[in-house]
Amino acid sequence: MSATVPDLSVEIAGLTLRNPVMPASGTFGWGTEYADLLELSSLGAVVVKATTLLPRPGNAPPRIVETPAGMLNAIGLQNPGVDVVVREKLPPLADCGAPVIVNIAGETVDDYVAVAKRLGASPVVSALEINASCPNTERGGMQFGLEPGPLAELVSAVRAVTSLPLITKLSPNVTDIVPLARAAVEAGTDALSLINTLLGMAIDTDRRRPKLGNVTGGLSGPAIRPVAVRMVWQVAAAGLGVPLIGMGGIMSANDALEFILAGATAVAIGTATFVTPDTCRQVIEGLAAYCVRNGVRSIREIVGAAHRP
Amino acid sequence: MEQVKSRITTTHAEGADCQVLILACPSIAAATQPGQFVHVRVSESADPLLRRPISVMLADRQAGHIRLLVRKVGRGTEALARLPAGATVDLLGPLGNGFPFPSAETSGDILLVAGGVGVAPLVFLADTLQTHRARFRVCGLLGGASDEHLPVWTELAGRCEEFHVSTEDGSAGEQGLVTELLGEHLAQDGTAVVYTCGPRPMMAAVAQMCAEARVPCWASLEQWMGCGVGACLGCVVPAAGGDDFLRVCKDGPVFAAEQLAWEALGQ
Ligand SMILES: Cc1cc2nc3c(=O)[nH]c(=O)nc-3n(C[C@H](O)[C@H](O)[C@H](O)COP(=O)(O)OP(=O)(O)OC[C@H]3O[C@@H](n4cnc5c(N)ncnc54)[C@H](O)[C@@H]3O)c2cc1C
Ligand SMILES: Cc1cc2nc3c(=O)[nH]c(=O)nc-3n(C[C@H](O)[C@H](O)[C@H](O)COP(=O)(O)O)c2cc1C
Ligand code: FES
Repeated sequence: MSATVPDLSVEIAGLTLRNPVMPASGTFGWGTEYADLLELSSLGAVVVKATTLLPRPGNAPPRIVETPAGMLNAIGLQNPGVDVVVREKLPPLADCGAPVIVNIAGETVDDYVAVAKRLGASPVVSALEINASCPNTERGGMQFGLEPGPLAELVSAVRAVTSLPLITKLSPNVTDIVPLARAAVEAGTDALSLINTLLGMAIDTDRRRPKLGNVTGGLSGPAIRPVAVRMVWQVAAAGLGVPLIGMGGIMSANDALEFILAGATAVAIGTATFVTPDTCRQVIEGLAAYCVRNGVRSIREIVGAAHRP
Repeated sequence: MEQVKSRITTTHAEGADCQVLILACPSIAAATQPGQFVHVRVSESADPLLRRPISVMLADRQAGHIRLLVRKVGRGTEALARLPAGATVDLLGPLGNGFPFPSAETSGDILLVAGGVGVAPLVFLADTLQTHRARFRVCGLLGGASDEHLPVWTELAGRCEEFHVSTEDGSAGEQGLVTELLGEHLAQDGTAVVYTCGPRPMMAAVAQMCAEARVPCWASLEQWMGCGVGACLGCVVPAAGGDDFLRVCKDGPVFAAEQLAWEALGQ
């Protein structure tokens, strides 16, 4: 490898990614919606929408509202259910050239277990991401993500039925995220994703009603980046021994670098893709340029570098 | 679908609260069908963050231009309306399904029922219908609050065989709602199909009148959007007869009236 081409590859949960950049679940549909604008094979991984056991219609609209430097969403885990996902949504990704990570959600531990088993039988799936953090349904996962006990129970139940690499996505809607991260690791997760959206709300002052059909929603975009960076920093400082996938408001390579320096081995891009569909590509190029500028041969050298004295 | 940086060639105010922008974007101009839209970045900064969906009012394939009609209702549309000629705008498009064309066998009247800024996609439809004319007549009905709220009405009038206007205050055309004009038209037989775009309560009334008259009706819907390409499921509207939802950006923005749950939409 020539000195001017930095090595961006990283390892997450036993998967080798050609670079540390992937879309965030729920912002990239089933992977094909952006195929016109972004080469899927250039991504570190493709991460698809939350999948549940049974089809879910999702929440009543409006589901989206813009907020200062961010947005609230309350999609409500709309998806056609795991059977349709396996039969119709995943096969088009079979030859996409990047590992496919499927986000899973449910109302009960048994739901997650059943979804994980079905997905385990699909040759297209490279890893599972447990969504223990969706704030937009009465029982859509976040009930598991707020306390170490239920989270550990969920993660170990899924761990027991799958040999796929397992990532657990944490909720930021807690006072201290470290005990949750530790519980997930002790229960057998191979990696952690953080953060999901922050619970928020907006009110229409003319109508005197909440703007979202669901009343509350999840805040994403640049507005949440400092919170997300802080949480990645805290979990990295705890030294739990699993790689972290950092996300929350990343719009540029420089934003991604904040997460990497705070301790994330990889990053995910969510809301930014709505604004600039090829943000992932720009971030990949920007990371490579940063490495070249700073004499960094492998991106792995700088993971967590901001912690070093 | 592509993402392009497009230059504003001209921009001018229109009526009480609208702006007409002409943008140089040959590839989008060549690809866009009536009823499709572009997703427009309104600022370079992270605030306001999201793109805004705007219908293509006309596409001039030869000149490589598209024309947008923007009504200033908030930060994003105001920012867009303020941009000077020569400025660059980031567009994603063309997006959405567009209006289905009447078949060549269609005979009778094709009615275009517009409310306010909803006139924009119907101008493009009327323009295209002119070049595909078979045995039908195109009739435009446009409603607004006052004569100041009938943006680009001459653009629609000039592309229709028959054209009527109504205003709520009577300052132009008939006094009243555009649905009253529609009622008169439906009362005489001969309407083959209705296409409508405007405020939701207006379209809900149009849909109901068409259902009663057994005339097919196509409506172009609006909803707040995230991605604009079908990925985020943020822009849905309720589908008729069940719990399901349809994406305005991908399944629409044009829907057959019977696809939608108008009781829930009209509110
Ligand atoms: C397919 C399509 C085609 C369109 N075509 C055109 C067109 O040709 N011309 C045109 O002028 N417009 C068109 N629109 C509408 C246009 O997209 C909106 O007017 C625009 O996005 C408003 O942006 P803004 O920043 O100006 O207003 P904003 O400031 O975003 O909003 C205006 C008002 O709506 C409120 N609001 C915002 N989001 C929500 C929400 N989720 N729930 C409740 N209230 C909310 C705000 O508080 C504010 O009072 C189209 C929309 C769609 C979906
Ligand atoms: C419209 C929308 C839908 C989302 N759906 C999911 C989902 O299905 N599962 C999930 O784990 N996270 C979901 N998320 C959260 C994102 O994956 C991500 O964690 C969060 O948005 C923060 O990143 P961002 O600021 O870059 O968007 C969703 C976010 C948005 C904006
Ligand atoms: S705006 Fe994202 S699905 Fe329609």
